[in-house]
Amino acid sequence: MSYADSLPQAKSAVKQNTVLMQRALQQHSLMDALKYASQLLQQLRNPLLPPQRQYYELYVMVFDTLGELTLYLVQGHKRGRHHLADLYELVQYAGNVLPRLYLMITVGSALLQCNDETVPQAEILKDMIEMCKGVQNPTRGLFLRYFLSQMTKGLLESLMDLPFSITFLTTNFVEMNKLWVRLQYQGPLKERDLRTKERKELQILVGSQLLRLSQVIESEEADQEENFTVYCEKILPGILEQMVQSRDVICQEYLFDIVCQVFPDNYHLETVEQLLQATAQMNPQVSLHKIIATLVQRLIDYVEREAAPGKQGGRSLFDIFWQYLEKLGDERPDIALVEVLDLVSNVITLNNCCDPENTDNLNKLYSLLFTKCKDFAVNDEATEDTVQQQQLFVELMTFKEVKRANLIVVNCPKYTELLLSIHPRAQLQAIESLLNLFLDQSDDWVVETEDQFMKLLALCKPATALISKEGQETVPLVQQTVAKWCHALVRATTKSRQLRPITKQVQLLLSLKNALHEGTSQSVSCTYESLITLWWQLIKKCDFLRSRLPKNKSSYDTSIKQIFKYVSRCITELFNVVGPSITDRVFKLNLQTASIADQLSLPEISYDFFTQALTVFEDTLSDSRTQFQAIVYMTQILQRTRSLRTEGEDYYDNLIVRTTLHASKLLKKQDQCRAVYLCSHLWWATEIESLGETEDDAETEGQFYREGKRLLECLQRSLRSADSIMDNMQSCELMVEILNRCLYFLIYGEEAQTRVSVNYVNGLIELIKTNLNSLHLEQMAELKLDDTSSTKTPQRVLMGQDGSVLKVSKSNGAVSVVLPTAASTESVAELATIPADHFQRTCAYILQQAALDDRFKAITV
Amino acid sequence: MSIFFKSPIDIEVLLDGEENRKHVDLFKGGSSTKTMKESLPLYEDGESIAGLVTLRVRDGRSIDHLGVKVSVIGSIDMVKTSGGNTTSTNGNSKLNSNSSLYNYDDPKKKPVDQFLCLSYDLCPAGELNHSESFPFTFKNLSKRYESYRGKNVDVTYYVKVTVMRKSTDISKAKKFWVHLFKDMTPPVREPNVQGSVTDAAGATSQTTNTPPSVLTKPVRLDIGIENCLHIEFEYSKAQYSLNDVIVGRIYFLLTRLKVRHMELSLLTRETSGLKPSNFLLDSTSIRYEIMDGSPVKGETIPIRLFLSGYDLTPNMSCNYFNIKNYLNLVIIDEDGRRYFKQSEISLYRTK
Repeated sequence: MSYADSLPQAKSAVKQNTVLMQRALQQHSLMDALKYASQLLQQLRNPLLPPQRQYYELYVMVFDTLGELTLYLVQGHKRGRHHLADLYELVQYAGNVLPRLYLMITVGSALLQCNDETVPQAEILKDMIEMCKGVQNPTRGLFLRYFLSQMTKGLLESLMDLPFSITFLTTNFVEMNKLWVRLQYQGPLKERDLRTKERKELQILVGSQLLRLSQVIESEEADQEENFTVYCEKILPGILEQMVQSRDVICQEYLFDIVCQVFPDNYHLETVEQLLQATAQMNPQVSLHKIIATLVQRLIDYVEREAAPGKQGGRSLFDIFWQYLEKLGDERPDIALVEVLDLVSNVITLNNCCDPENTDNLNKLYSLLFTKCKDFAVNDEATEDTVQQQQLFVELMTFKEVKRANLIVVNCPKYTELLLSIHPRAQLQAIESLLNLFLDQSDDWVVETEDQFMKLLALCKPATALISKEGQETVPLVQQTVAKWCHALVRATTKSRQLRPITKQVQLLLSLKNALHEGTSQSVSCTYESLITLWWQLIKKCDFLRSRLPKNKSSYDTSIKQIFKYVSRCITELFNVVGPSITDRVFKLNLQTASIADQLSLPEISYDFFTQALTVFEDTLSDSRTQFQAIVYMTQILQRTRSLRTEGEDYYDNLIVRTTLHASKLLKKQDQCRAVYLCSHLWWATEIESLGETEDDAETEGQFYREGKRLLECLQRSLRSADSIMDNMQSCELMVEILNRCLYFLIYGEEAQTRVSVNYVNGLIELIKTNLNSLHLEQMAELKLDDTSSTKTPQRVLMGQDGSVLKVSKSNGAVSVVLPTAASTESVAELATIPADHFQRTCAYILQQAALDDRFKAITV
Repeated sequence: MSIFFKSPIDIEVLLDGEENRKHVDLFKGGSSTKTMKESLPLYEDGESIAGLVTLRVRDGRSIDHLGVKVSVIGSIDMVKTSGGNTTSTNGNSKLNSNSSLYNYDDPKKKPVDQFLCLSYDLCPAGELNHSESFPFTFKNLSKRYESYRGKNVDVTYYVKVTVMRKSTDISKAKKFWVHLFKDMTPPVREPNVQGSVTDAAGATSQTTNTPPSVLTKPVRLDIGIENCLHIEFEYSKAQYSLNDVIVGRIYFLLTRLKVRHMELSLLTRETSGLKPSNFLLDSTSIRYEIMDGSPVKGETIPIRLFLSGYDLTPNMSCNYFNIKNYLNLVIIDEDGRRYFKQSEISLYRTK
């Protein structure tokens, strides 16, 4: 008998014989039918068909055909047409072992189906399974035994008692497993991969046996406990023994997985030690973490569903797993870190499910990982493995709920240590997401004790220790997150009764300061500002409390003073750590603090900060642009101070004179001009509505500091600067700006006070007109040279407060800014319109104002 | 007998109860006529053979004869007696001419020994002018050998009626088949014919003459090829009835062969002629695959072979020939090489 060359041929041969067999059955010619059945079974002997798909397809066809035969055999037996016991012997004359066994099983199962009491049913089952040993070819043997299990399905349950069924199925499983494991040694060595693929495709046949076992156990109506005993004592040890003995990776991984999947999860809880024991004996190449994951998942399912305590025989699941992990650590140092990681994260999940409050357990696990990390000395290679490893670390180190995160950080000191020791990239990610969690759910975040606070502070260490490397743009972002996190942290402490008092808060902030101080200069530059802000908040809070509880005034007074000292210290430290690059911000922080001190009517302190700011300005602010901005900022702050003047010593005067002096000494004339005319406001205090001041106060009580003489001096000084600028356009523009200031003072102050008179304004207008004329000439000359410029894109050109040129597109209103340094490149013609336009707008305003204010009528436009 | 001269007398031999008797179907001897079947009535040892001889005279002619004789004959026929030796053929021809013996199945086979020849006269000399019938009986006829039809040797039984005449005798033979059944009591083992078991695989045989008392003990064999294959096999016993089942197992102690399959075959060996130039003929009666694929160390393969469905020859032995049966275990590896191991078993017929 030759074999078909291909699947279609084999299939057609099977079909043909099936038809012949059916015909023979119709004619009740059993011998012929058996002959055809035997012939079609020959196709299954074909060694040429690859087992996956093709052989399976063929098997399915054969299975259907033999099913028909079984049906006929059972009916025939019942009608007395033949006796199946005779047929059972008869089919054994088949010369080839494979068809013989298929027929034997067909007839045998038919015989069992008849449920004839006279037939030694158990003997037949035993015989069938015993004779199956004749097929030692892995693929054919697997399918044959699968056939046996399919044909006896249901029969075992209905006819046999549990021990027999289990022995039967276990035996079949063991043999199938052996065949399956052996499959890898078939064929030439170079086809090893192909074999592995085939094995994976055939694994389901082996797995089906375990499924059958679980079905038999579960279908048995007998005492559940008894079933479990059977499982523990007979089934599981057998399976595990096979698994261990096979020493085969695929087999061990698959079977363990299947055992976990098919048997009831409450069984796993009871046999967890046996299962773990078995995994420890497996082939070193087995991915323990994967199979343990399945087990853990099953256990979790059980614990969650039954709300069980997660204990086995008085020991908690965690203890069992912990012991296992320790043992693995000793015996299997070869397990890769990434796998250990996965294992541990599974155990963590388990612990979180069974005993979520037990942070000691978690601490143990973190400590284990910490040691492992050290052992493996995480290197920088971005292999796939490490990428995955980092991913796992990040998953492991992050939480979903802020309360949980808080609990872990507080109770597991090893957590923070671990965080420090993992791969920098993972560390970065983990910290970022952890901090963000705290920020996102800050409403739920409560820090109860100082101890907790200190432990949480430990988180700053990994976060602030990060050093920005090339291409790591996220580091500064993380620093910013740390800064935000500090706020959230302090806010979380204020929810605790214990930590709310000012003295406590001061302590906490000092601790925070110390923690942040440890960081890199980069992180200090980010975080210190938020620290300083926190101090400010505390000051405000003290002030608030002081007003609420006057009897404690003195103690609050001292705390406030003390806090200002801390702020000063912080600013100094910030400067010392970060260096000159941060000068600008140090300047501003000083001014802000000064302003706060002023608001609290603490002139000495305020003055001190102002002087600090001025010192910074004088010593380190060297960039002319920044200097200009600093002056602007300074004047803003100073103009709004109120307390400086009230003391015997006139701090205010001292400060404004010094500021104006600095303003007039700025490098560029434009800057000088603008800075000085802004300084003019320092002699003209205005009301601050938020303090409840009104303009009336100024007139009635002379409360505001106003000195017209100095004011006019400033304006004149400014005008001098403007006049001396060689650039006609700049000069004109500045004059128009000065004109605007004059008009402001004209409106808000009497001439007697401000010394700004209508005549002065008229003179200024005259001067501007003259200058504009000459500028116009200049512009016309240029336009002649270049006709096309008039058709340039329709833009409106303006000048900003700081001298930058703004271009506003007339069509869509888009603004583009050209810095003043670049202004020289612009053509005069284009820029000449700036002062002219400005002047026109100002004139229009004057005319408009004339309708309201008679004084304006005297201004000649 | 020529077809041109019809025999003047027609002899018919009918055995008593022939219709109801069990028959044995056989292929007619001779390779060319293999498809022709014949069916012979079956007798046992010690069974009487009785029947009726009817002589019919053709066309009412009368025939003189010198008497009618009935005889029962058992003979051993052979094609070759011993490796081309002519002396015995001379002897045979003499025997042949004397008693006009011939083999009815295969003309090539010549009788070498007539171990049974009983005859008596049915009627004295006289004239036969009408059909006449004569009953005959050979009471409790002992039959020494089983009927056998082999390649070189036949054991045949027949009843022969001879009408003796002055000219050529007219005779007619009626064949029948004989089975000898062994008692269920432990059979007496015939002296073992020398000649050790051949072993192509170079395996060493450990079978020894089994004393009659331990015949039911299992047969164990331990064979192997160094560093390649080591198996142990076991049959339930060394003697089997033809209705028996051979049960056994094969245990693989070591296997480095890539086995494609393994089969069990039953070999029937016909040894004929006299020593030293005897003539061996083997025929495979059963081929039975018992394993598919390559086993691993420690695997046990079950053997179960029902014998009753096959047409087998029990062991026989006499001076002229003997029949022996061997179980042959054959392992075929993936390159088609065959490794085999024979072991003798004894088959006997029981009821």
